[in-house]
Amino acid sequence: MESLVYVALFAPFVGSLFASLFGMSERQIFVGVVASLLLFISFLASALLAANLYITGDVIHITMMDWISAGDFNVAFGFVVDQISVTMMTVVTLVSTIVHIYAIGYMDHDKSFNRFFSYLSAFVFSMMILVMSDNFLGLFIGWEGVGVCSWLLVGFWYHKPDQDRKDNPSISPSWAANEAFIMNRIADLGMLVGIFILYWNTGSLQYDEVFAKLPELSESVLVGAAIALFIGAMGKSAQFPLHTWLTDAMEGPTPVSALIHAATMVTAGVFLVVRSNPLYSMEEVAGVSMFIASLGTFVAFYAASMALVERDLKRIIAYSTLSQLGYMFAAAGLGAYWIALFHLAAHAFFKALLFLGGGNVMHAMHDELDLFKMGDLRKKMRGTWLYMGFASIALVGLPPLAGFWSKDAIIETAFNEHTYILWIMLVITAGMTAFYSFRQVFLSFHGEDRHTALGFHPHEMYKFVLAAMFPLAVLALITGWFMSSYKEFIYKIGESVQYEMSDHTHHLAIYLALMVIFIVLSSITFAYFKYARTGEKAWKRDEEKEQGFFYKLLINQYYVPKFYEEFITKPYAMISEVFWTKIDLKIVDATVDNIAKFFYATGDKTRSMQTGNLSNYLNWMAVGAMILLGVAAISAMIGLGGIDG
Amino acid sequence: MDNILSVLVFFPAIAGLLGFVVNKNSIRTYGIAVTVIVFLLSLWLWFSFDMSNAGMQFVEMIPLIPDMGISYYLGVDGISLFIIILTTLMTMIGMASMGETKNIKNMIITLLFLEMTMIGVFVALDAIIFYLFWELSLVPMLYIIGAWGGPLRIYASIKFFLYTFTGSLIMLVGMLFVAYTYHNVTGVWSFAITDWYALVLPIEYQLWLFAAFFIGFAIKVPMFPFHTWIPYAHGQAPTIGSVILAAVLLKMGTYGFVRFSLPMFPDASVMAITPIAVLSLIMVVYTAMIAYAQKDMKQVIAYSSVSHMGIIMLGLFAMNAEGLSGSVFQMLSHGIVSGALFMLVGMIYERRHTKLISEFGGLTAVMPKFAIIFGVMLMASVGLPLTIGFVGEFLVLLGFYKVSPVMTIIAGTSIILGAVYMLRVMKFVFFGPLEKEENKKLKDLNARETWSLIPLVAIVIWLGVYPKPVLTPIDNSVNALLTFMDEKAITKEAKDMIIVAKSTNPSKLNMGDK
Repeated sequence: MESLVYVALFAPFVGSLFASLFGMSERQIFVGVVASLLLFISFLASALLAANLYITGDVIHITMMDWISAGDFNVAFGFVVDQISVTMMTVVTLVSTIVHIYAIGYMDHDKSFNRFFSYLSAFVFSMMILVMSDNFLGLFIGWEGVGVCSWLLVGFWYHKPDQDRKDNPSISPSWAANEAFIMNRIADLGMLVGIFILYWNTGSLQYDEVFAKLPELSESVLVGAAIALFIGAMGKSAQFPLHTWLTDAMEGPTPVSALIHAATMVTAGVFLVVRSNPLYSMEEVAGVSMFIASLGTFVAFYAASMALVERDLKRIIAYSTLSQLGYMFAAAGLGAYWIALFHLAAHAFFKALLFLGGGNVMHAMHDELDLFKMGDLRKKMRGTWLYMGFASIALVGLPPLAGFWSKDAIIETAFNEHTYILWIMLVITAGMTAFYSFRQVFLSFHGEDRHTALGFHPHEMYKFVLAAMFPLAVLALITGWFMSSYKEFIYKIGESVQYEMSDHTHHLAIYLALMVIFIVLSSITFAYFKYARTGEKAWKRDEEKEQGFFYKLLINQYYVPKFYEEFITKPYAMISEVFWTKIDLKIVDATVDNIAKFFYATGDKTRSMQTGNLSNYLNWMAVGAMILLGVAAISAMIGLGGIDG
Repeated sequence: MDNILSVLVFFPAIAGLLGFVVNKNSIRTYGIAVTVIVFLLSLWLWFSFDMSNAGMQFVEMIPLIPDMGISYYLGVDGISLFIIILTTLMTMIGMASMGETKNIKNMIITLLFLEMTMIGVFVALDAIIFYLFWELSLVPMLYIIGAWGGPLRIYASIKFFLYTFTGSLIMLVGMLFVAYTYHNVTGVWSFAITDWYALVLPIEYQLWLFAAFFIGFAIKVPMFPFHTWIPYAHGQAPTIGSVILAAVLLKMGTYGFVRFSLPMFPDASVMAITPIAVLSLIMVVYTAMIAYAQKDMKQVIAYSSVSHMGIIMLGLFAMNAEGLSGSVFQMLSHGIVSGALFMLVGMIYERRHTKLISEFGGLTAVMPKFAIIFGVMLMASVGLPLTIGFVGEFLVLLGFYKVSPVMTIIAGTSIILGAVYMLRVMKFVFFGPLEKEENKKLKDLNARETWSLIPLVAIVIWLGVYPKPVLTPIDNSVNALLTFMDEKAITKEAKDMIIVAKSTNPSKLNMGDK
């Protein structure tokens, strides 16, 4: 079994290296094929490990080699395959394999085809390190690794020029890539601090050793560590106020958005909280957990509200990812870690499907993403329409699809915990989700044909690409049916992940679910009447409404990016400039030069003493002797003796 | 080879002298051959180094002026060993990658002399010998900046010389005073640093002496507010000058703190933690911001170098093995990464004769190899895990967290601010559309350039993934140093502050033995 762990971990790495060998040469289909095959091998290994764990219940823990040791600090490359990590491994490798195959078709015309696969496989490798590590520092390797891969992939089309924020809210791929990297780094500092706290208080960074020591720690230490680690999670999972990078990251190629910015990397924050569940479930940190749940709920609502008016297809899906991450954090914060993890997995499947469908549309529309320029695409892209419609149903949470089971459980949890404000907000958000998801489906695939007049001639994606997407559709359908066996599986990990609804909630569960379904269905119907009809009653763009206060607030993302630009980026550049030109050059350096000039000037002035006239020199000698005598007399009086050790 | 250290020190110098009679056309080959031999010798030093011994090894001692206790006294421990290898490596690679053709013979000879003085500083165990090499190292660098530099080279080289020289003189006064005190206490003269270690000084003496040594070292590091010579020196120096300056010469300052200040004045060092940490934080944050404002690529690297030296300084005063070992490791990492970055900027300067960021854009399209190597070095510079830059920076921050969480968080902004200024360079030089006509015809790295950078890339990744071979000897010596400081410290505050690792095995330590 140990060798399977290495196969699962290193197969993507081999794929990345292989692809990078051809990084600078022409497009070679086999590069994509080999990379996909290696990922599939990694998936098989992960699945076997999962099956083994399910049957035998033996957690595999291996240490590969030493990494850093200094003083008492000692960290090795160690990996653990337990219920939590194996869930992530299977989901990550499965979605990655499909996205790789998809990308062979999607990146077909790109001259940097090989380079793309090298980055994409490197990402999967980093993600595997992140989820498989047995210690916080190993997780941090993966954490930063996925950050770099995300930077490379968001900025993949690096040659595109910067645009004005009005024309393109993401400015340019390279700008968006840098934004993502830097914003994540801010959060990473929080994570590092969390690591420092844990190390100095527990003497280790290995999960099991750290968690074993938790009960001995003081409240302030626990709270500090919990807050610091969560700040790290906020960056990667794009929680408010570090969320703006995620929508801008849509500048990357769509397979990247599907894999990194929907299914896997952005869920790393949720994974971190779930992984550290012994910490977050401690009574002392209940306040932090409550904050996580509240922030998650807020983000779910906040992101969904921005999606209501967005015109850009990919940005809508990005907002919905943000919103769903909020749901996951709400569950994790309320203590239902396994439900969070289950929603994470289900979300990975249907969101990847949705994104890949969006990629098909983009491919067909020659990179046009404006919903207002589409309409009635279903006739030309039947397969994609079915996939996206199906994924949307899963996303909005209608039974029997995956989203229903996982999302409903989260809403139920909020009710069960008597956090009714969170519960109401999550229910409203479910309604908004239904509206914006179907607004997007109807605007693109239904209603009047608006694209032909603009000169677009969309065509369906390659057959093999559509076929590759099929497993995701199946998973989006069936995942939810395995919820109870998954529960049984993950409960083995320990008491801290176990979460049960109270009897009271249990009785009401069916009514609660029906209520949510009713809200969702009415939202979809409303969206249908507004956007899907043709002829007389067809949807028309209402420019006047777009000038309204709320519309402008939402379309400008509550002016948060603008705020960052005006109050952080610009002042930072200004202060830097002042530091350089005013302080460093004018004060610090000028002082040094002035001291030097002073000595030079003194020398220059006193040079006149050197007249060559003997009697002048005698005069100066007398002056000198007097001064020395004076100094000697004074020092004798105040008793400055020699130093005698 | 009992006198391997003497060979390491004087071989480059003798070879340099012989260089005068070598033909101008073959001088480059000759120079590279010499530096390769020196590098191999330093590797041999590493392989025959006893990893379990934390004390001085390969010790050589010849009394020079017995009456004054001055002797030719050399030795290496785990701390100096790798700085020596860094010196020989960077000299070799710097020379191999050098594009300079003007007065090439003088350049090669100067570099060989410079190599002698640098190795000399790191192996010297006698204060006078140390001081001798310390000051001698200024001369070749003065010449390199003054003769091959940019338009402001005379101003820059004189500033560099006078500034550092002034600091060294104050340090010299400190050294003489230590020797004098040693004589007063023991009745004999000695300039051997290991003898000085045994001297327990009263707090007041420690503080004054600490200050004297501090000025000498701080200007060299360079610490804020003594750093303003460095932008001029880097700005005007030819590429090779900047590479050696950043990679090795700055390390003399931080090395001085480890070799002199910490073991000799443990109490004063503990008392100096806060003021030094404040200066270091200013270095980290303030110079990182200045780096962001720069319009010239080389100046970005120059200021970033100061910012990273701030992290190293912080680690030196963490008073625990995590921070101190991390700091020594970071010296190596900074040497390699900033050296490589200066080389890269030099390569682009040779092609376009400008270093202004605004002159470039979209270079990845025409120079992919260059962009990849720059990207790797950028990631190492911002401290990405599995690159060399992470290990040291992480350990320093981890170690200093024990001293002050708040200060560590401020210092930790270096991982953010570092990314900010480096990614800005990356974006405006390598990304975006390729618009300027001059840039469209740029040639990618040639074989000489590629092969001088590849070893550095390999080291950056190797020591990032597996730092153990280097970190273990460093850590042994650092543990010995801390144990020694802990025993020697006279105040309770200092004893409380200095943390000796629990895993330290006292039987292996023989600090101060001759």
